[in-house]
Amino acid sequence: MIPHDEGTAASKPPAPRIGVYFDHPSRRYAPGEELVVRYDVEGVDPAAIQAMERTVVWYTEGKGEEDLGVHRFERIDDVAGLAEALPDGTIVAWLPVSPLSYEGVIVKIRWCVRIRLFFVAGRDFVSEHVFEIGDIAPARGVVERVQ
Amino acid sequence: MRLPPFFGKKRGHRRTGSQAWGSFGEAVFYAALVAAGLCFAGLLLTGAVGIGPESAAPAWSRGWLWIFILLIPGALLAFGAAGLARAVRDWGKSEERRAAAEGLGTFLESMGQAPAARHTYPGVPTCDDLVNSPGTILRYRLPIESPESWTLVGMGLFAGLWNAVLVVLAVSAGIDIVSGRIEWVLLAVLVPFVLVGVTGIVIFIRRLVLTTAVGTTQLEICDHPLLPGNSYDVLLAQSGSGMFRALALTLEIEEMASFRQGTDTRTERVIVWRDVVKEWTNLEITPGVRFETHVTVAIPAGAMHSFGSAHNAVRWRLVVRGQPERWPGFVRVFPVVVHPAMPAESAAVRREAASDEVPE
Repeated sequence: MIPHDEGTAASKPPAPRIGVYFDHPSRRYAPGEELVVRYDVEGVDPAAIQAMERTVVWYTEGKGEEDLGVHRFERIDDVAGLAEALPDGTIVAWLPVSPLSYEGVIVKIRWCVRIRLFFVAGRDFVSEHVFEIGDIAPARGVVERVQ
Repeated sequence: MRLPPFFGKKRGHRRTGSQAWGSFGEAVFYAALVAAGLCFAGLLLTGAVGIGPESAAPAWSRGWLWIFILLIPGALLAFGAAGLARAVRDWGKSEERRAAAEGLGTFLESMGQAPAARHTYPGVPTCDDLVNSPGTILRYRLPIESPESWTLVGMGLFAGLWNAVLVVLAVSAGIDIVSGRIEWVLLAVLVPFVLVGVTGIVIFIRRLVLTTAVGTTQLEICDHPLLPGNSYDVLLAQSGSGMFRALALTLEIEEMASFRQGTDTRTERVIVWRDVVKEWTNLEITPGVRFETHVTVAIPAGAMHSFGSAHNAVRWRLVVRGQPERWPGFVRVFPVVVHPAMPAESAAVRREAASDEVPE
């Protein structure tokens, strides 16, 4: 889990604890497979949350600028929806066949589930949980640098 | 209300800036452009600046001059307003929400296409440009990626334009000399201009000879796109004349990443995997009869597929490297697209289901 809080340490309230449980404990999925993720949110008053975003995304890491692709995006900002999605819920998505998770030399592709909470006070809190699609062998190293 | 912090995530040795402050700065910049455009337009329309009645311009040209002058505040207003609207639209939205909105546009575009034509491999570049040329023996002729040709065109343009300017200057200097005046400054300027012009022509001609003398390389393939775990018949044809000390066909994976360094955008490219398909040595090519051979290219099972996004790419390519006896060596690159391998069971059903995930 990689929690990220955009607030400062001085005045922020306690950070929520978001637990995420994948239906595959290894967190490795086949392309086109169904992803089922259960989550629970603790340490925050549901009344303090004005919206929630549940996403399944891929992003690049490495030398280049980060690129982000959204496979599934769901924003819940109505009272009834939030009451249903908090303090726990489930994310279900059919995974695409590409791009597959990849550990290259200067290009890496990661898949993750992100749960972002928007507080009434204006802050937001995102919790990121990485998983893998496919079983691609990592790149071994640089054979040649192209000028 | 508490202000957002200036710095965000820490990545390696650097910190990313605050998205909120970045958006705010962007909005201020575009708002300043709008304000400048409004001020400029106001000054023009009130007559404080612009073309007054005392202007020497003929009456018929004043209308055009007004339109031309109004283009400046118009461009400022249009550019500023568009940027400001974008900044306001994205204000307070998460990066996922913004990316989903962009993805929705792509999805809606694909809805107009026939199901078979829909791009069902997100992040995988299309190979439409690689399968539109039929081969003479095999199914497709692969297009060559040729930065050398563009360099040659660039050199030709430079040599042509430079020498055109040189001719104008030389004619001017010649007229002066014929009329009995000698402009020493112009003559002094002409000397380095002539040197650069002649050098440009020599480099261009040398490059032209090198590019055309070796002969063309042609690759044809039996199927495209390629799939991991499969093998493909490839035809290599090399024309030219004389002895080639070495000729090799390799299959490679190249990673490409673009990043900003200061105000520059840089691109780094590395080859992370290379397999020598076949090598030939001391190859004699007869003029008029091209060297043709069939080879089998195998894509390893479990290999990464082709990938392309705005700043990052994983590219597969077939590369022909040659070393003629009388000319410098050459490298010719033929891009190919490798799709991800599909799980055997109900692959089509899963792909349809996955492609139906719609950003909300």
